[in-house]
Amino acid sequence: MKYMNVINFIIIALILTGICVVEEVLVSRSLIEIQNRCLQIESLAEEEGNIQNARIVLALDNLEFRWTEYESKLCYMVHHKNVQEIGQEIVKARKYIAENDVQEFEVSIELIKFYCHSYLHFMGASVHNVL
Amino acid sequence: MVTIIVRSVLIYLIVLLVFRLMGKRQLGQMQPFELVLTLIIADLATIPMAEVSVPVLHGIVPLLTLVLLHLVITVATRISHTFSKIVSGKPVIIINPKGIDYKAMKKLNLSTDDIFSALREQGYFNINQVQYAIMETNGKVSVMPKGEFAPATNGDLNISSPESFLPIVLVSEGKMIKENITLASYSEEDILKLLSKQNKKLKDVLLLTVDRLGEGYLQFFQEAGRTIKMKKAGGT
Repeated sequence: MKYMNVINFIIIALILTGICVVEEVLVSRSLIEIQNRCLQIESLAEEEGNIQNARIVLALDNLEFRWTEYESKLCYMVHHKNVQEIGQEIVKARKYIAENDVQEFEVSIELIKFYCHSYLHFMGASVHNVL
Repeated sequence: MVTIIVRSVLIYLIVLLVFRLMGKRQLGQMQPFELVLTLIIADLATIPMAEVSVPVLHGIVPLLTLVLLHLVITVATRISHTFSKIVSGKPVIIINPKGIDYKAMKKLNLSTDDIFSALREQGYFNINQVQYAIMETNGKVSVMPKGEFAPATNGDLNISSPESFLPIVLVSEGKMIKENITLASYSEEDILKLLSKQNKKLKDVLLLTVDRLGEGYLQFFQEAGRTIKMKKAGGT
């Protein structure tokens, strides 16, 4: 019985450690990549001078594709409501490209970066989050 | 809806595992830390079950963390007597030969009604019958009656009684219990032979037990049970 307790303890501790490590890696990797892609889109928009061009549309498509992929994985770990804003902003950004609304497009991209930054802050393990 | 069903099954299985890992103590036998754990588990399990937007892991991780904590506390209480006293408290004598210990009663936040109720549950309706009553760490009250009110045993009356043995269940609801059959040094053929003598089949048997003295109990479905003489069982 004593050994069973030790074995149970080790198994559960390993499972919990595994979950924590996977969460940390997945969250930071996905959100940092999304942030970088947003920066790329911003610099593309600056380079091109307008937002209605194939490179920006392609970059936004890639951003959406990657985010959808990550979102489905993040949903195993994070409350769905906490991660849906990024998807919503990507859809809005696409609409602003169609309307050629540069200002709103920039705000949307900025918001995606902001959400990534704040998610990274509250999803990671820190004393602030614990308390 | 399918999601909720699958989640419910998953959480149920995990809670079942958690309780298996916690041990076999019943609710009334729980130490304070076990009771706290049970209440938290009940609450934790319902959130991811009903709320589809919450990942199941949000239920599983705290459950497993609590089991981990429980294992640590259980081991620590076994190792350290002081820690055990801090976590579970210690038994307190509430009635001694002088009567109710008022100080202990107030410390435990008990009323005389509570004490009387606990005594009645133990079969003592008069406090004069009680020598000692002890409030255990799980909240149960153990009573030691005064000598003249203690139930007489065979030893007190100098009556010799035959040694009793645990009966082994050989057949239950038409199914042979193979490990018990081996334990009793019987074989399946022995049982089938016994049943054929009664013109019955295995599926007709509700219960068949045997003890070390060869005292058997046989009951068929829809019939009254009876004691039968059988071959002596080994291992009991």
